[in-house]
Amino acid sequence: MNTGDARAEIMRSIRAHLATSAPHDTTNTNHDASLPLPVQSPSPTAELSVVELFKQNLEAVDGHCIIVNSETELEETVKRLTEGKKIASPDEPRSDLFKSDVGVTGAQAGIAETGTVVLDSSVDRNRLVSLVPPVHIAILDASRIYTTLGETLAALQSGDEVSPAITFITGPSRTADIELTLAIGVHGPQELYVIINQNT
Amino acid sequence: MKVALFVTCLVDQLWSSVGTSSVAVLRRVGCDVEFDDRQTCCAQPAFNTGYRNEARQVAKRFIEVFEDSKADAIVSPSGSCTAMVHHYAELFSDDPSWLGRAQAIAARTHELSSFLIRVLGVEDVGASWQGKLTWHDACHGLRDLNLKSEPRRLIRNVRGAEFVEVENAESCCGFGGTFSVKYPEISVAILDQKIEAIERAGVQAVVSGDASCLMQIGGRLSRKGSKVRVMHLAELLNQT
Amino acid sequence: MNQLSSETFGENAKAALGDAQLRGALRNATTLFGKKRREAAASLSNWEELRSQARAIKDEVLLHLDRYLETFVTNAETRGAKVHWARDAAEANAIITRLAVERGARNVVKSKSMTTEEIHLNAALERAGMQVVETDLGEYIIQLADETPSHIIAPAIHKTKRQVAELFTTELGMAPTDDVDQLTSTARSTLRERFATADVGISGVNFGIVETGTIVIVENEGNIRLTTSLPRTHIAVMGIEKLLPRFADLDVFLKLLPRSGTGQALSTYQSFITGTKRNASDEGPEELHVILLDNGRSRMLAHPVTRQSLACIRCGACLNACPVYQQIGGHAYGSVYPGPIGSVITPQLIGIQKAAQLPFASSLCGACREVCPVKIDIPQLLLHLRSEITDKQPGGRGKERLAFKLWAAIMTRPKLYEKTVIAGRLFQRWFKPPVKAWTNGRDLRPIEAESFREHWRRTR
Repeated sequence: MNTGDARAEIMRSIRAHLATSAPHDTTNTNHDASLPLPVQSPSPTAELSVVELFKQNLEAVDGHCIIVNSETELEETVKRLTEGKKIASPDEPRSDLFKSDVGVTGAQAGIAETGTVVLDSSVDRNRLVSLVPPVHIAILDASRIYTTLGETLAALQSGDEVSPAITFITGPSRTADIELTLAIGVHGPQELYVIINQNT
Repeated sequence: MKVALFVTCLVDQLWSSVGTSSVAVLRRVGCDVEFDDRQTCCAQPAFNTGYRNEARQVAKRFIEVFEDSKADAIVSPSGSCTAMVHHYAELFSDDPSWLGRAQAIAARTHELSSFLIRVLGVEDVGASWQGKLTWHDACHGLRDLNLKSEPRRLIRNVRGAEFVEVENAESCCGFGGTFSVKYPEISVAILDQKIEAIERAGVQAVVSGDASCLMQIGGRLSRKGSKVRVMHLAELLNQT
Repeated sequence: MNQLSSETFGENAKAALGDAQLRGALRNATTLFGKKRREAAASLSNWEELRSQARAIKDEVLLHLDRYLETFVTNAETRGAKVHWARDAAEANAIITRLAVERGARNVVKSKSMTTEEIHLNAALERAGMQVVETDLGEYIIQLADETPSHIIAPAIHKTKRQVAELFTTELGMAPTDDVDQLTSTARSTLRERFATADVGISGVNFGIVETGTIVIVENEGNIRLTTSLPRTHIAVMGIEKLLPRFADLDVFLKLLPRSGTGQALSTYQSFITGTKRNASDEGPEELHVILLDNGRSRMLAHPVTRQSLACIRCGACLNACPVYQQIGGHAYGSVYPGPIGSVITPQLIGIQKAAQLPFASSLCGACREVCPVKIDIPQLLLHLRSEITDKQPGGRGKERLAFKLWAAIMTRPKLYEKTVIAGRLFQRWFKPPVKAWTNGRDLRPIEAESFREHWRRTR
């Protein structure tokens, strides 16, 4: 099979059909996609700090949010949450990973308006550790929390480059596929803890 | 203000009191009403069923008849027919000689409640009617002509009438023109959901701006032996 | 599996109307989805601006699709993805099957993708000896039941808890239970075994970002992350229309899609995948293959009215808002894509002859247009397709065409119109067929003894 043929034919088909459309296009096109993106008016919770806003939104989707103010407090919290549990390691064999109870990762950014943590898997081996075990603990610096989705997307982009594997996580995994009844914890983690470290 | 009545073929044949009520109401608010009896239909049935050539023939006739009128406005007691006239631009998009004429007619054509509220600025036409009633938002009037508050403002000024909103007032009644007879079972299934809501609202009458919806709703209410009556907005506003 | 056909839509719909349990499920689901969508839209003060902006972005991409597609491919391939082009379903299946066979794959995990449903990928892979499992819970349920999805985002919406439980007991040997958490955890543990040993993961793509060569996939369950992170080969199937020019455009679309589909501000997970791993020791698949699928999409570019079909982001909001869908559900349409969007793209994808009923299965109420995040004017499209169908079927619509020719002849001659009304008044008892379709369920107003114009002439 010659893929070059398929490409050429599809491109030819696109161009031919766009040409057919051209006489009708002048009347109704409004395609200025270089328009600046719409500005959202401030939300009613604008008086909250970015950390408080993040916490409120994460908890609204059944995530746990713990705020700490020192490295010691951070270590103690992680210890408390992982006491007696098998902690996943990014370097262990798959079979062990699937038997882990909890995965601990950093988070490279956060989005306050949705309570989202952002994982960049080229910076930290967090892709599977944040996904396979039933509990995920994400450690997020308060200084890395953006207010809006738009700001976060801009921060993730450097010209036309973005990291190869970025994941946004907003709460534990869920489904409503069975009679619209909400079930928390499907394939991804059933519990998500985000520890926000204000001491940075 | 001089008004040319566009009565619609449906009202002409099946519900003339909507026409006579519209004339009476327009006169009561000070309009001079003329009726050109060369008018027939806006062409909606053909357009909606896919017969654009036939629709164009009838639409041209409509345009010619109403171009002869010196009236300030063409007023119709039907949201869907008014919306059809506003869609003439689409029928004649490839015909520059008719496009301008179609757009000019469309600009002068108004649905009744829209005309009263937006053009004349009149909310109270001096009507009175005792009882509890509700409003069904006919789809074309609601979504093509943005009629939502206008009929409600007119109804709230009817002395003695107790207005309640029906649940899902904006839901389709299931008529849809030829859809009602091409897929009658689906049409009636959709209709029954509207009927249930009307019955739950405990009203004596349901009012709407389109005779087609009222035929659909009224036809099912009477088949079910309901005491609820249907009334066109023009008929309600003509009650004194 | 007995899949219904679009050609028997009328009968399919009647059968669906007789299924009380289906209608109850549909009523609950569409009411709840509709309510959540409304609340989510109301929570954003700039909702209408977002819709307009989204439509403007899509119009731009589609108008210059050739250019954007080539740039996307260059950018994706520079970063390690291998891009394949498929003119139709058969070609796409052949490419994917070959890729899987070449890699000695036996165990394939799939995440929910309407595009892969469209090409009937699973059947093709199974014919080549592969085991394919759907990992999205709703898709897994219907795969076990040997059915097709009945809704674009909630495939098993037509099934009750009880039915799912019975299915799991029969197919998986699960102990009988009605508890949704138990059902979910049964699916979780069964599917984890498949994830752990999968050779190939196949997904769809929600958005392809031209500027950066990124594919974006959106979900709530986590199965897409597993499908696209664990196996060494990831195959992503993407319709050619799924492009967005800039990474920043996601600010608009990630706000519109989850709110329109389920009423969420954001779905649980978004995966942004750009090429393959940069270092061999990094996590993630060794290979990323992106299959670009045409399958009739390029034809839709030929007119602005049809081109807007390609703006669809597959949110499902139109289904939930549609009074017809609400009564009959998805299977009656007999097509991969049901509801309002299905009624307009199915005839365009598979040919209007095979789906000629679908554009007529609508009351043209416009509720779909109102909720569409990219402002597709579905009623306009339906009317356009209706005129295409009548134009291309002169023979098949003989009686109807004749009736409308007669109608036009009468309506352009007012005197003849009046005589016809008089005749109709006299002979109205004798108009059987369309009248019977009406009177089966509804009383019919008779033609009045005096028409409005007769009254006017008499009293003026």
